[in-house]
Amino acid sequence: MAARRTRGQARSRAAREFVSEVEEILDRMRSDLADLADARARGRLDADLANRLFRSAHSLKGIAGMFGFEGMSELAHHLEDVLDGLRMGRLAADAPALNLLDETVELVTGLVGGGDGDAAEAEAAVRAMIARIEAALEAPAPPAPPDELDGLDPQLLRALTEYEEHRLREALRRGCAIHLVEASFEILSFEEGLSELTRAVRDGGEVISTLPAPGDSADSQIRFSLLVGSDVAAEELRGRIDVAGATVRELRAGVRSAAATSAPQPPGPQPDAAATESEPPRAGEGNGELESLKSISDTVRVDIRKLDELMNLVGELVIQRGAIGAIAERLLRDPATAKIGRELGKVHKALERRLADLQAGVLEVRMVPLRQVFEKLSRVVRRLRRDSGKDVSLDIRGGDTELDKLIVEQLADPLMHVVRNAFDHAIEPAAERSAAGKPAVGTIRLDAFQRGNHVVIQVADDGRGIDADAVRARAVRLGLLAGDESLSRKQLLELVFAPGLSTSAEVTETSGRGVGMDVVRENVNALGGLVQLDSEPGRGTTVSFTLPITLAIIQALLVGVDDQRFAIPLNAVLETLLVDAPTIQRSEGREFLNLRGEPLPLRRLHAEFGLAAPATGARQAVVVVGLGDARVGVLVDRLEGQQDAVIKPIQGPIRNVRGIAGATELGQQGTVLVIDVAALVEDSGHRREAA
Amino acid sequence: MSAPVSAPARSGFDLLARAAAGRGEGADESAAEAELLVLWLGDDAYALPVERVREIVRLRPITPVPRVPACVRGVLSLRGEIVQVVDLRLRLGLAPAQGASPRRRVIVLNGEDGQLTGVLVDRVSEVLRLREDALRPPTERDAGTVAALAPYGERFVSVFDVDRLLDVAGE
Repeated sequence: MAARRTRGQARSRAAREFVSEVEEILDRMRSDLADLADARARGRLDADLANRLFRSAHSLKGIAGMFGFEGMSELAHHLEDVLDGLRMGRLAADAPALNLLDETVELVTGLVGGGDGDAAEAEAAVRAMIARIEAALEAPAPPAPPDELDGLDPQLLRALTEYEEHRLREALRRGCAIHLVEASFEILSFEEGLSELTRAVRDGGEVISTLPAPGDSADSQIRFSLLVGSDVAAEELRGRIDVAGATVRELRAGVRSAAATSAPQPPGPQPDAAATESEPPRAGEGNGELESLKSISDTVRVDIRKLDELMNLVGELVIQRGAIGAIAERLLRDPATAKIGRELGKVHKALERRLADLQAGVLEVRMVPLRQVFEKLSRVVRRLRRDSGKDVSLDIRGGDTELDKLIVEQLADPLMHVVRNAFDHAIEPAAERSAAGKPAVGTIRLDAFQRGNHVVIQVADDGRGIDADAVRARAVRLGLLAGDESLSRKQLLELVFAPGLSTSAEVTETSGRGVGMDVVRENVNALGGLVQLDSEPGRGTTVSFTLPITLAIIQALLVGVDDQRFAIPLNAVLETLLVDAPTIQRSEGREFLNLRGEPLPLRRLHAEFGLAAPATGARQAVVVVGLGDARVGVLVDRLEGQQDAVIKPIQGPIRNVRGIAGATELGQQGTVLVIDVAALVEDSGHRREAA
Repeated sequence: MSAPVSAPARSGFDLLARAAAGRGEGADESAAEAELLVLWLGDDAYALPVERVREIVRLRPITPVPRVPACVRGVLSLRGEIVQVVDLRLRLGLAPAQGASPRRRVIVLNGEDGQLTGVLVDRVSEVLRLREDALRPPTERDAGTVAALAPYGERFVSVFDVDRLLDVAGE
């Protein structure tokens, strides 16, 4: 994978940077748009989001103009217009406006992605979109509301910008209380104090404006007043502020009752919020240009290829380190050089520790939260909802779970596929659900969590479940299964992963035709991951992805079979055993073992790989590997210790060798194949008789 | 991964290329030229288009890979890249080479979509430079791996179609 990417068409560096920057802006906009739509669903326009979107559109316009992409730049300009209309209240923040934004962002995405598509077609699409935006902007503005500002200090009102005034009106319209929060800060450290104050206030409301306040404060101090629209009363807001000398004055009481204000969010579960609002608070966000400049300067965007190169270097250093260790050992064994050997051994130890830190550091840089992918999925579900008129809610949990960037990228498509399947096929129409006594609105639950050295991602729906009989009939028709073959439900479900077997007779545009779980499984296997499926008729289906946290460097267990050596990723190894040959049992030709009261299926590596069988000794080495909740014992001739390994893809005419995940170079020990544990585990669950 | 071709391989190759250039006519610059690497299996010469050759390395220990066609001998590591090695004798259905010879080489080819593949041959002799219009179609297309015949002294050498040669999945 990595190799193919490094040799991809050599796009110029500038173009690559342009694309990566635009993609980043678009990602941010998509995520903000998703949040904006959620906020609107709760009945309000989130001003901070609208602002951030406006800034993103502005950056997009600038960068597109700089690189001479006129269509894109013009679209961005119109995005600005729409967003400006929204935040100024000139344009109603309703579904059509949000859809317009969604679609424009998608169009720009298409322009970036399809660099060599039909130019005329793209141009036409841009024109059409611009015409729609202009039509929307020319629609009559919402009627001007009666002036709610009467009674507020005119001097204060004069200090507000058009935008701030609009926010103030908006807050009043929502029935918020309006407070003036004042506090003094030491000039030298006011930024910190002010952002702390802002943060505290924002927990209880919206900061409409931050104004330097004239006052009788000491020379070394500076005084600010914050105009705040809030759902809580003045005393309560004061209670939340932990800044000495701060005062809160109520300018206008809230309209809503205390009972309503104590629960600012609907009481229903809002798991989306956990995924999207758990970002660490950014210092002084929405607090002026000063802070926003700062936050830009302390992050660096890095091309993932550079990280790959760094990772390769670290991997090579690790191999060199191993060689030094071996030399130290050799010196130590000879009395004449033992002293030097000991010294070298010490240096080697220190080097080992530092290298481990370096490795962990580089790995950490590659980690990104799954939230990025989850947001894309939530956008897809919104669009499906819009296009199909089917109401399905999406619960997202664990968006903070981190995975290697490369894995996250490769995971987007398989996850998308599974979510679409759930939406299209699994969730029944509302009437059918009601008749079955289920809630009319179906739910798809996306859940991610770490389990040991793996990350598990689950896509669960509460739909109709998989009809095993239908799967069976389909498999028989496709010739995958003899008509009279008896299979357990679990085995039948496994057939869903067979090529060409779709679980629904219905074919829709979104899920396509014959698109299958086989592709999903193949893609996830290529990442060293495992896909498992569990389904209960009438109750729903859960698809679980188990993935390694990183692909780059792994700890490997070296095993010997015949005259060859293989590496097994240690994160999949549960334990190693030496068993007496007679304890191995057979049933229907398959071998297994009693492992503390549970049957453990066994596979002989030499048989799997067509190598010579070892002379049968009295004891057998067994490596117990597991992924998800599946376990397999792998019989090998020798256990040869652990080693760090950088897994590389195997290049050449044979693309996929079942059971081999790649290869690694181990210094003097030459090139060693890395076993694909997921394939071993999967194959042992359902030996394909046909294959 | 982006390491340049190793110095020894490059210079050896350049020597070959210069030797071949010295022998060529060199007069007719306008005509399209083909550069071919001549390799040998026993007493038979074959050729590969030079633009598909990335480098030539000495045969070194190959790690066998299970579950692949017999002509894929295994993988070797090329400065961090893991590359499959196709034994050309087995690929063409010839008898395997007997004994060890210091002249055996692995020619590393650029395959489809950037994948590298090594091809194991008995030896490599020279780079042949000739006008493209001197190439002749092969006499029989059954095997499908030969793209053209190139004049070579009093004889012809078979020029491989690299993509077909590397399409070993059907073996």
